[in-house]
Amino acid sequence: MAAFSKRSTKRDTLWLRVLPTASVLLFLVLWEAVVRLRGITPIVLPAPSSILDYLLTMILDGSIPYNLGVTFLRIVVGFLIAGSLGILVGILMGMSRVIARVLDPWIAALYPLPKISLIPLLIIWLGTGEIYIITISVVSAFFPVVISTYSGIRQADQNLVRAARDLGANARQIQMKVIVPAAIPSIFAGLQLGMGVTIILVVAAEMIGGSTQSGMGYLLIRYGQVMETEKVFAGLIVLAVFGAVIIKTQSYIERVVAPWAAGKD
Amino acid sequence: MDIFVDSLVQIWDDGRDGIVALDGITHHFRSGKLTCLLGPSGCGKTTLAQIIGGIERATRGTIRIAMPHQPNSQSARPGECSVMMWQNLNLFPWRNVIDNVAFGPEMSGVSREKRYERARELIALVGLKHFENKNCSQLSGGMRQRVALARALIMDRPILLMDEPFAALDAQTKIVMQEELTRIFELTGKTILFVTHAIDEAILLGDEVVVMTARPGRIKEVINIDLPRPRSQELINSKEFGQYYERILHLIREEVLNAMQQQNEAAEG
Repeated sequence: MAAFSKRSTKRDTLWLRVLPTASVLLFLVLWEAVVRLRGITPIVLPAPSSILDYLLTMILDGSIPYNLGVTFLRIVVGFLIAGSLGILVGILMGMSRVIARVLDPWIAALYPLPKISLIPLLIIWLGTGEIYIITISVVSAFFPVVISTYSGIRQADQNLVRAARDLGANARQIQMKVIVPAAIPSIFAGLQLGMGVTIILVVAAEMIGGSTQSGMGYLLIRYGQVMETEKVFAGLIVLAVFGAVIIKTQSYIERVVAPWAAGKD
Repeated sequence: MDIFVDSLVQIWDDGRDGIVALDGITHHFRSGKLTCLLGPSGCGKTTLAQIIGGIERATRGTIRIAMPHQPNSQSARPGECSVMMWQNLNLFPWRNVIDNVAFGPEMSGVSREKRYERARELIALVGLKHFENKNCSQLSGGMRQRVALARALIMDRPILLMDEPFAALDAQTKIVMQEELTRIFELTGKTILFVTHAIDEAILLGDEVVVMTARPGRIKEVINIDLPRPRSQELINSKEFGQYYERILHLIREEVLNAMQQQNEAAEG
């Protein structure tokens, strides 16, 4: 009896394990069937099989690798600038009440503003080139990083601070060796948010006004305008996978750098 | 180091008349002895330890910390000669065992090689050899206590302040840690101030038990524990232990009842 119930649990878990894949496959099969049976035109809704065809072609002819690479570079540059600026300013705000008071109204006023609404102004000031795309992503990723860093520093465990002081740490050592490390989990939380908006804003800027004629956003908007729906879908799939890989890689790096902070922010 | 506490008063600001946490504490904590501060929760025993350790400042009163048999020597600043082992340990979660233990020497600029050497000795002393590079989150409660103890011992201060360090441990681990502390105390000859609310722990560890009253904290009675050292857990079954226990239990019961009554009155008022 015991053996039987054990085996059945095992079968259950296997069954549950294939369920996500089965769900996706079933959806694709239904999609394919509906498109073929009802004869829906590809401009409205292409079949998954033809999307896959186009996807492979676009990978092989180099248009996806090139444009994805360009988008990736823009994201990395924007994220690195926003991340380092945000951490630096956040730490300065956390450590100096004067700096915090000076910057606080600006951050409070600018943070809730949808950054995408700055696009017209940035185009007037910076044109439509590379600088504009990087700037819009930096401006939007900067705020979540600053705010998380600042609040992480302010919420640092005062008991740890007192313990460090008792062990002979001076004010400067307490800041560098206790308060900043204690803020790392929330700094990481800010970087995750920052990465999310960087991806969004880079792609959006490539779509709106970007004169560089490159990047995944440009690809999507161009194929959309000429109604090559298969290529639009192919681009969307690539972007979805790309976003997931970036976020996963980021949390992997965090687990390696700060294992104690895993699962907490 | 002898610790002379004289008419110590601590009043917490609550926006009104203030809460009197300590009300005129006068006591001589003897050098090289282990003194237990025992009392119901909220009696100010932690506050007293923190004032002696220079972590809090007293509202009024004086503290003299001096070498024994040198009554005219200058007093040390509170905190200068002591180190605290905290109730919630306060280990640095981003540092592994050896870097937690070596924190103090690192702050005073001791080279990495030297401080690691000393940290390894102390890690071995508290029985954590081979755990140097483990993360603190990977350790059990008892092991974390040992890290905190080693981190305090590395400071090489003559006074060790311990704020209910074993309160959160399970019964078996607690026994082991009490014996470990007894061994280290007998080995190093430090002056230890041990805050606890457990009567058996106070008798087992202490040369002297200072029983405190419920809020406001005053000293109710000082009891010398005349039990031979080295001590071990078996002592608990002895007749003398039972007599001490009964006597202290009687004192504490009164205070706990007092404290409960105060809380009731506060709730009604």
